[in-house]
Amino acid sequence: MHPGGWLAWSACAGLAAVSTTNPFYLLPLAAGACAVHLARSTSSPGARLFRLFGATALVVIATRTLLVVLGPISAGSIVAASLEGLRVATLIMIYGAFNSVADPHSLLRLAPRRLHEPALAATLALTMAPRFIESAARVREAQRMRGIEVSALKAIPVLAVPLLETGMEQALTLAESMDARGHGRGPRSRYRPQPFGAWAWATVLVSALALVVVMAAGGAALTVVAFPLAWPTASPWLVAAFSAFAAPAFFPEGVPR
Amino acid sequence: MRDAIAFDSVSFSYPGDGLRALDDVTATIEEGTFVLVCGATASGKSTLIRAINGLVPQFTGGAFSGRVTVCGRDTLSEKPSSLADVVSFVPQDPGSSFVLDTVEDEIAYGMENLGIPAATMRGSIEECLDLLDLDHLRASSVRSISGGERQRVAIAAALAPRPRVLLLDEPTSQLDPQAAEHVLAALQRLVHDLGLTVVIAEHRLERVAGYVDAALGCRRGKVLSGSPSAVLDELGVGPPVATLGRLLGWSPLPLTVREARRRAPALSPDARRTGASPRSEAQPLVAARALRAGYGSSEVLKGVDLGLVAGEIVALMGRNGSGKTTLLRCLTGLHAPRSGTVAAGEGAPVPGRSVALCPQTPEDILFRDRVDSEIETTLRANGCPERAGAWLEELGLAALAGRHPRDLSAGQRLLVAAAAVVATGARALLLDEPTRGLDPDAKRLLIELLRRYARGGRAVVFATHDVELAAELATRVVMLASGEIIADGGAKDILGDSPVFAPQMTRVFGAGWLTPGQVANALAHS
Amino acid sequence: MTGRATRAGALVVMNIAGAAAFAWPFLLPGLIGRGQGHEVDAPLIFAGLLMGLGGLLFIELGRTALGPKTVALIGVLGAAMVALRLPGFIGGFSAMFIVVLTAGSSFGPAFGFVLGAVGTFASGMFVGGIGPWLPFQMVAVGWVGLGAGLLPKGSWPVRVGSLAAYGAFAAFAFGAVMNLWFWPFAAASGPVAWSPGQGVAANVGRYLTFYAATSFAWDAFGAAGNALVVAVAGRPLLACLDRAARRMRLDARAYSPPQSVTMEAEPAG
Repeated sequence: MHPGGWLAWSACAGLAAVSTTNPFYLLPLAAGACAVHLARSTSSPGARLFRLFGATALVVIATRTLLVVLGPISAGSIVAASLEGLRVATLIMIYGAFNSVADPHSLLRLAPRRLHEPALAATLALTMAPRFIESAARVREAQRMRGIEVSALKAIPVLAVPLLETGMEQALTLAESMDARGHGRGPRSRYRPQPFGAWAWATVLVSALALVVVMAAGGAALTVVAFPLAWPTASPWLVAAFSAFAAPAFFPEGVPR
Repeated sequence: MRDAIAFDSVSFSYPGDGLRALDDVTATIEEGTFVLVCGATASGKSTLIRAINGLVPQFTGGAFSGRVTVCGRDTLSEKPSSLADVVSFVPQDPGSSFVLDTVEDEIAYGMENLGIPAATMRGSIEECLDLLDLDHLRASSVRSISGGERQRVAIAAALAPRPRVLLLDEPTSQLDPQAAEHVLAALQRLVHDLGLTVVIAEHRLERVAGYVDAALGCRRGKVLSGSPSAVLDELGVGPPVATLGRLLGWSPLPLTVREARRRAPALSPDARRTGASPRSEAQPLVAARALRAGYGSSEVLKGVDLGLVAGEIVALMGRNGSGKTTLLRCLTGLHAPRSGTVAAGEGAPVPGRSVALCPQTPEDILFRDRVDSEIETTLRANGCPERAGAWLEELGLAALAGRHPRDLSAGQRLLVAAAAVVATGARALLLDEPTRGLDPDAKRLLIELLRRYARGGRAVVFATHDVELAAELATRVVMLASGEIIADGGAKDILGDSPVFAPQMTRVFGAGWLTPGQVANALAHS
Repeated sequence: MTGRATRAGALVVMNIAGAAAFAWPFLLPGLIGRGQGHEVDAPLIFAGLLMGLGGLLFIELGRTALGPKTVALIGVLGAAMVALRLPGFIGGFSAMFIVVLTAGSSFGPAFGFVLGAVGTFASGMFVGGIGPWLPFQMVAVGWVGLGAGLLPKGSWPVRVGSLAAYGAFAAFAFGAVMNLWFWPFAAASGPVAWSPGQGVAANVGRYLTFYAATSFAWDAFGAAGNALVVAVAGRPLLACLDRAARRMRLDARAYSPPQSVTMEAEPAG
């Protein structure tokens, strides 16, 4: 799917998440994020890190709950704190799913013309990073052949200076090549503009609609009363709206991009 | 024919440098020709190439006078980027000049910069993929393909905007012979079929001399132009057949084996066979026995026996993937064998201590700001009592002691890196493709250094595709094929027997003849 | 020169606006007046500010043409940041910051800012760290680079010493700034909560308590790491970057013959 669809999805879902502390709304939203990850994850590095996002979410809830000790402890303050933790945790899960489904390179291709150069620099950084890691391993091994182990703090220059020098040489070659290949010459064209397909539109529509329903319900309907502590209530309409963010997980695979 | 490129009394010097990199150059290059720019390192070769698309002086800075026109356009009145529609440039190491991720996107990048409509781009890309035989790689990452493929992708990317002039800076220096031939043949086809003007700077003359129509020779900023054989004759460089021609006073100078063969007097082919066994009774410095090694499920070495004796200089040859690099890594102790043993003196080799491996990119280990500090660093890390000065003296590098390693030429840097790794006191030095990217002068210095090193009761092994280097330097040649040693013996015997690995003199005069000097000597005595 | 002055001016304006985006929990109550009920508006204010911050990044990063030299340098140094971010943080220390600190010092504040922002963006993409925090992170790391570029150059000990000290300070400042974006929702109730009804001073106090309780120890690692690495490796790294800076921004030189030109290479940074 066009990454623009995922951008819209994550923005709407994120806004919906920060607007409530009600677990009956937050939990379906978090579950929807998991479903999207499971159904649509790509081979991007973000896909492998979804678990890490999950772990971070749990840590956030725990930390926030523990912070209660800084003030008067009551059932209300504990519940309120952990629900605030849950809110941030849900936000983290949504972006965990986003990172898992959106391919970094196609996201970068979305960069507006005005940001072509920073986006190009970011593309370069992304594609050269693996090479940098290989070089680091090679330098380390080569220095070992001289009897110099790169382990102590003092030995940082042994590894860092050759890497940096080589990198600077490379930057010069690269700049020269870009200049000779017409970088910054004038208006650019695009080889592969990604079409914004039907399912991307559907994702945008569903997400926007759900967000409108949530916003229309207003603050009071979304807030849990913790002082005095009361059992949160849930409106079926709102539960449906929050659950709607799981929809892209059920869109067919292999649809035209 | 019209001139594609014209230099009109061009002088140029780099910023902060009093020397003129180009000194009153006037020359023209005709449309639809394949032109070689040759000369030693720092002779002005790459400056000349870069002056054609305005990188000199606009990218480099510096003082420039005169006028360069390319397809009638003045290189000073436009930026290099705006000349990109008529002239394309392929830098020396395409690996570090790629901008995007996949082959297809990389080829499109230049056209996108020119604002070419998407539909036109599609056609152009398909054409270039076909022309350079890259279709099967279109979706691959440019970082995951081989050196030869990378060079072809860089050429395809340069051709895609349909320029009229193509500039290449040492396109074959990082390639093995087969890949180089593939690239050069593709370029020649472009000149013949499309009428493209191709200018290449190159010092692997034995590879390119047979392909080009004309040459520009650079020497200390001066440029002479003419036929390849006249220019090489004037510069005093060239492939071994040219060296021989010069020794024997032939004119015009032969540039290919075929031309030399027509002129060559008969010499008895097997007159100089040694017949001596390379096996020596001396205690080996390093010995591998029944060595098997590999990565994951693939077995790279399948039972290798190899002993290295003091004073030997061994050339390790074989196709890519035959196990040369793995064998070197096993001999240094960097790669653990699956079975069999490697012994260096008393026990298994300690990486660096007993057997040194010279890094393929010398920049990987140089981090100090003086050459002698680099040597000092190794000596101190290994507790050697020796002085850096004495060590540099022994290897013939004393003149470099106070220089900054980054200010040296690529060839000198390699020498310093080699000196720095052997300062551990290692008795054997291993090198993997040491002459990749080196010019003939640098090669000569390397040969000198390795001979000096081996003379001190030590041994050298170098893996190489460069048969001329093996012919000149090696006392013994070991051939590897799919992980096994298929031939091992004196250079004359082994290189003479192989049709692929025979040096030019062997091809002209038959087995036993390796270097032009040897042939000229024999002819003088007969 | 005027170009450079406009550039610096725009950088300052941009950063004041950026600072406002970070400080919104402190400033807004004062602006809107003291009253209850702003907790509910927080998400909307947050969304608005996020868009504002994104817009400012958009304007600042797209304002001037960088040119091939700067793009290539940021690409290479950004790749180093991406690679160094991968092993993760040891406590609050990431070697990523060393790249920003040294490059900012060598190539100047404007370059430092763009490198910090773009490198953070790329590393966020590489490790899968895209989220509403990313614009905040980009601006905050950008500031680290910007500040490094403003430090005194002087002799080597002065330069390395001040960079090491600044590195330690920057670790805490970065941590404090990065906790701000979520503070109003993560702590909407209790003693460390954002309390729009109270004054700026009270909110700053509450925030400092929140920061001390959640992140101070973590960031202390970062501070120590930055200072140590800069102190040990700063000089050779800076020397190497300075050499590159000189080669990329070459000086013009007079040349006598008629109809000759002396070109100044297009500078990087």
